[in-house]
Amino acid sequence: MRRFVVKRMLTIMQVALKKLFAIMPFLFGIGFIAPLIAQVMALWGWEAPFGMERIVFGLVIGAAWGLYATIRGRWI
Amino acid sequence: MTDHYTIHPRVGEAEGVDFDVGPADDDGAVALAPDTKPSGDAPAIPLRAPAELDKHTRVELLKEERKIAAKYHGGPMWGYVAATWGGYAIWLALFPLTMLDLVPMWIAFPLATFIATAGYIPAHEAMHDNIARPGSKHRWVNEWVGKVATIPIVFPFSLARLMHLQHHYHCNDPVKDPDYPDEAPGFWAAWYKTWYNRQPGVDGTINTYKRVVAEMGTPEAAKALKDTIMVQLLYMAVLFTMAWTGYAIEAALVWWLPRHIALSYVRFYLSWVPHHPREGRTSRYEQTKVFKSKIGHFLSMCMETHAVHHLYPGIPNHRTKAAYYELKPILEKRGVDCSAL
Repeated sequence: MRRFVVKRMLTIMQVALKKLFAIMPFLFGIGFIAPLIAQVMALWGWEAPFGMERIVFGLVIGAAWGLYATIRGRWI
Repeated sequence: MTDHYTIHPRVGEAEGVDFDVGPADDDGAVALAPDTKPSGDAPAIPLRAPAELDKHTRVELLKEERKIAAKYHGGPMWGYVAATWGGYAIWLALFPLTMLDLVPMWIAFPLATFIATAGYIPAHEAMHDNIARPGSKHRWVNEWVGKVATIPIVFPFSLARLMHLQHHYHCNDPVKDPDYPDEAPGFWAAWYKTWYNRQPGVDGTINTYKRVVAEMGTPEAAKALKDTIMVQLLYMAVLFTMAWTGYAIEAALVWWLPRHIALSYVRFYLSWVPHHPREGRTSRYEQTKVFKSKIGHFLSMCMETHAVHHLYPGIPNHRTKAAYYELKPILEKRGVDCSAL
């Protein structure tokens, strides 16, 4: 019984990891690119368009770019 | 599928030497020891006779070649160890130093890029057990050089070693050589390919590695896959945490961008340049080419004489050039184009 539970948990973890890696470009877009855009803009004194906060602008770009990379399979 | 891949190096114990003797000579027809059998998938009757040289000459040349090669094996390797661990300590220190504005980014970024790139060389030595061989007292040093040196490029040592050895065992085989996707028709295409092959949905390097590891199906392959997942998750966790706590630029210029530059540089100089063109060049003396680098031997990571490395992977990287010059007359007789150096 215990062996079965462990095996089942490993399978669930494997599936979860596969799904996580499948959407990794999107996560990278919001997890890294978004704050990077905001911080670079702040460093160079750039304001975000349409009165947005820099981080909101970063999230829009990062999420869209990450989503594109997730769907298309490449960043450019 | 394991038997599809070679698992161990071709150590020439049967031939009186205790080092890796590289790929079989041509079709396996030449062996120094009478009891050495060709591999299972070698043809019973050689399909292709090596040009001009008879078997006796080839055996004599091989003996001479190995005598020279033996001289260049070994030697002090502490420099690789010191450079790896020292470099890693500096790279690690760059995180707090840049976050506290104690080191400017214009120093940190090139330094991190250099450490990430150059780190592949000691890791490569460790992949071939050149720092300390299995069973030796200092074996752990070999393993920890490999593990540490590959952290900046987020390429776990277990996977790097497994894939690199498959590259040696099946060099330029379009299916079995995991580095075959690096092949490109020219200079700019090769640089582009180094980036393109890292794209998430492209059947490039990383997806080829995953396929090969899955096909191997050994415990080592399973471990390599597990290590890769762990290291990639840790890398992402560090980048995301740094980015959302206000240090995205530091994370980008100390780890993210240096890693990408290093991976491209390494793939270009270690994989594309010495092996291009790859198609059909699978025999012992054809797998690599000798070239003259415009940026010099050191900056091209000593790859001008990568041919020596493929013949004798146990010769340390810094000694391949000297070994090449001594081996040159033999290599020329074997049909290697040595005109570049």
